[in-house]
Order: sequence, then structure tokens, then C-alpha cells
Amino acid sequence: MHATTVIQRRVLAPGVIALSLDAAALAQATRPGQYAMVIPPSAQTAATALAIYEAEGKLASILFFTIGRRTHELAELRAGDRLDVIGPLGNGFDVSGSERDVAIVAGGVGIASVFLCAQALLRAGARVRLFYGARTAELLVDAQRFAEAGCKLVEATDDGTRGHRGFVTAALEREPKPEIIYACGPTPMLRAVARVAAELGVRAQLSLEETFGCGIGGCWGCVVPLVGSSAQAPSFPPAADGGSDVVYARICREGPVFWADELRW
Amino acid sequence: MVNARPNLQTKLGALELAYPTLMGSGCYGSGEEFAAFADLSKLGAIVLKSVTRRARLGNPMPRIVHTPAGMLNAIGLQNPGIDWYLARELHKYAGRPCKLIGSVAGFSVDDYAYVCERLSARDEIAAVELNVSCPNVASEGETFGCHAHLTEQVVRAARSTTDKTLIVKLSPNVTDIVEVALAAQAAGADALAVINTVRGMAIDVETWRPRLGNLAGGLSGAAIRPIAVLAVYEVAQAVTIPIVGQGGIETFTDALEFFLAGASAISIGTANFTDPRIPERIVAELQEYLARRGLAGLEAIVGKANVGFSTPHQYEGDEG
Repeated sequence: MHATTVIQRRVLAPGVIALSLDAAALAQATRPGQYAMVIPPSAQTAATALAIYEAEGKLASILFFTIGRRTHELAELRAGDRLDVIGPLGNGFDVSGSERDVAIVAGGVGIASVFLCAQALLRAGARVRLFYGARTAELLVDAQRFAEAGCKLVEATDDGTRGHRGFVTAALEREPKPEIIYACGPTPMLRAVARVAAELGVRAQLSLEETFGCGIGGCWGCVVPLVGSSAQAPSFPPAADGGSDVVYARICREGPVFWADELRW
Repeated sequence: MVNARPNLQTKLGALELAYPTLMGSGCYGSGEEFAAFADLSKLGAIVLKSVTRRARLGNPMPRIVHTPAGMLNAIGLQNPGIDWYLARELHKYAGRPCKLIGSVAGFSVDDYAYVCERLSARDEIAAVELNVSCPNVASEGETFGCHAHLTEQVVRAARSTTDKTLIVKLSPNVTDIVEVALAAQAAGADALAVINTVRGMAIDVETWRPRLGNLAGGLSGAAIRPIAVLAVYEVAQAVTIPIVGQGGIETFTDALEFFLAGASAISIGTANFTDPRIPERIVAELQEYLARRGLAGLEAIVGKANVGFSTPHQYEGDEG
């Protein structure tokens, strides 16, 4: 539990807000791909799970698209406002591998989950290509930051206003094959990444998005079917009524990042 | 005159609680998940996630939908089954700084008795709650808790297996909750949890499909609070056993409503998803409230709602 203060509020695109928080303990504890449960100041809704976008020094930031009641409330916050958050939570991306040629695939505000991942991989000396897709050019928020950090950018927009026209996963298919893929974005994009990864014979780590209840493992409201042999499978026996070795793993607790080839979704 | 520390102790049958706050079954895991963010020693008890005779995979996704002033859930009783639970899970919960109440679900009268007997035999378990909002698969799939005679059968069967406090969680999805409450009491229940979630459905207007994988789910949160307060009030008028009031409690004033309506304890569920500090906050604010009013303990407020009638059910036309 962290009592933080909003240091800066940035509008990155219409409806896309980034809040920088004075949150040293959170920033220092955060690993790539982890998230926080943001407690609504009004206490009128459930807490909101948001990726920790940046974590450096005493600053941690969150980035979100204002889409519902909860994110609209957060969008009202201004510098100086208090915000309580729980985190860091979840098992993030495994960036300890030896792959030198890495593809990161991000769709929309899924970009928020991969900045720390890109940073860590670049620091480890990997070549990082960011495949970044959005509906339209102005929603490719902070693309330049990734370029400045050292990523090679491959952009795609649904309307063709920047980069390739069409799905970012189509761009991924056309480009030279990476050694590993990291991805975060809408579920249809992640399914496409899983398919492309399988076709290329490359492993992929997917950060899944789902509606959470508690967000900390207590309610089993956010599960995904996972092979029982996965290292991330919860220590439950295969269910009698499941008739297979598939178990449901909590996206919040065992995830949110899973190996694509271990999902049975 | 202000009491330094009003006493919030309460009793449910033989179960003595330091605080009158239960964490609702399925909302709080085993407590371990919340321990980093909440002080478990300030909770009365955690009602553990329901266990069934055999393992259950649970419902397909989505299992949760946020709705105005609440949420729908349809988890589907995902659990490892009683054998695995007792052999490989429950011992990990020993040493929690609050009481643990086991929750039993089943699909036949025998299921309830079997799981209740095995669960209540364990030292980690201080009391047992019966989740009777399950279909009777052995018959025609009627929900046990929606029928007084089925509730009575389940409670009687479970009662015969344990001396520990037996709490029966009543469903609000009934014509007359008082009838079911009286049946549970007659069958030997020590306490009643009032209420379980209210059945509901949400439809995605883009895809025209149900927003829950299970189609229907249970509505919880502030949206159901007035339903729950009335149910507690009406049940309290009819039974002599204590009541755990629950349904959308988010603040100490919400809790106060339930105590005044007749609850001896409260259960907090969905509010933990807003802020896990809420149960502790409610306890502190209840203590302040009682102290401010010079009241020594909960007995000064339980069932003290001043309804202005000498007998219940004199009000009519309440839907007009």
C-alpha cells in the first residue's frame, strides 16, 4: 500500500492520460510488466488495475485510456492530488533470457506494460524492435520515447495515418523473425501474436488483460486456461469436470504475463 | 461520558469474535492474498472460499462484470475438492491472526453433510458456513436455499456432523426469506448470513451476448444494500439466532444500518475490492461512534432500529 501524490498529469492523446506519482518505494520494487491496483479517491468503485508504465528514482507512472467510470475519475486528478495504490503486483515479463534479437508488440495503451520491459532488454544489450499498433496516428502515444530509448520502431495504424495500414501483427509477420516476442494489448491482438509466434517457431510472453475483481488473487474472477504442466499453474488438481490437464490460473496472481504456448484459450 | 474503548466483541453460537467483521466467502481468498495490504488481526473472521466434495474447474470467463454501484460475479465454485483442500491447502492457513470459517457447497444433501463433517473436524476451522445457493443435482436442480424444505434437509444433515458453529447463508432470490430462515433455525443452524448475492445479468450491446460467461451471476455491492437491510430486519423479527448482515457494506454507517436492523455481525465482501483497508476502518469508526454516544458495546445497537411499530409487518404498500 502506497500513499502517493500526483506530480504530473500528461494528456498524451485525446483520452490518454499519464499520471506521474511520487512513489519511491513502488518505483524501486517494480519489475517490468507488473501492475498496481489504484484505489479510487471516491471509494465509489472497485480499484483499477493499471500497468506501471515508468519506474525511475522516486517516480512511478501509470498510463490509461479514459473509457469507463473508474478511469474517468482518475482522469480528473491533478498535480498535488493524493492517490493510494497497491503494488507492485503480478508476475511480470521474464527478461532474464539470453535472446539478442527481441520483438515487443504493443497495441493501444498496452504500451504501458512494455516500457520497463524494453528498458531492461536494451540495458542487457538486446536489439529491440517495437511493433506498435493503434487505431490512428495520434494514439501511438510516446512512440518517440521508445525510439529515444533505443528501440527500432515498426508502427501500424488501423486507418493508415502512420506506419503500416492494418494490424500490427501483420507487420510482425512480414519483418525478419525475432528470437523472442513480448506483447501486451487487446486480447484479439494477443491471440494473433500467439498464432504468429507459433508459425515462426518463436516463444512469446503475453501480458493478458481482463476485468479484475480484487486484483490480488483472492476472488478467482480473472482466470485463463493454462496447461497444468506450466510452471505458473496454481497448485490445484485438474478439475474432475474439466476432463483434461488444463487448469484455470489467475491472471492477476499467476500472471498477468504467460507463455503463449502454455495457454489453452 | 466517553468510553475509552467500546467493546466490539460478538458471538455467533459458540463462536466468539473479537470484532464483528467477517470477510465474505470468495471475496478474501484465504487471507494470505490480502495480508500484505490489510491487518488481519483487526478482522473478526475470514469466511474461506467454498469447498465442494469434488474439484471444480469453475465457470468460463468472463467471471466478473462491473455494474452501477456493484458488480456481477459468476466464478462457479472453482476449488480443488475437499480431499486436496484438507491434505494440501488448509494447513497453510493455520496461524492466521483471526478466526477462519470454512464454507461448504454441495450438489446433494449428502455432499453438504460429507464436506461439513470433514472440514469441521479440522482445528484450523472455527465454524462452518453453508453456502446453500447451489442446485440440487440429485433432484431437479432446484436451488437448495430457494426452498425451505431443502434448506431444512441440508442444515439438518450438516448439523448432525458437527458441534461447531453452523452458519447458513440465505439467498435473497426467494419469495419469502423469513420462511427459509425459520427452516434453517428449526434444523439447528446457530446463525444466519443474510444475504447472499442477488441474481442478475448484463448484456453487451455491441455483441448482443451476455457479459458473463455463465450468463447469470450474483450482484453484490452498494446496489443491493437496501435489499439486504430489509432482509436482515425481517429475518431478525422472526428468528432467535444471531444474524450476520451482509450486502454492499462499504462504510461504518452502512454497517450501522445492519446492526440496527438486527445483525450481530457484518460481512464485508466487494468493498475489499475497492480498498482492503475498509474492514479495519469500519471497526475503528464503529468504536468511535459507540464511544461518542457513551455506548459500551454492540448490544446497545443490535436490533434497535426504531420503526415506530409495535409489531412487524404493519407496513404495507412498500413498493408504491
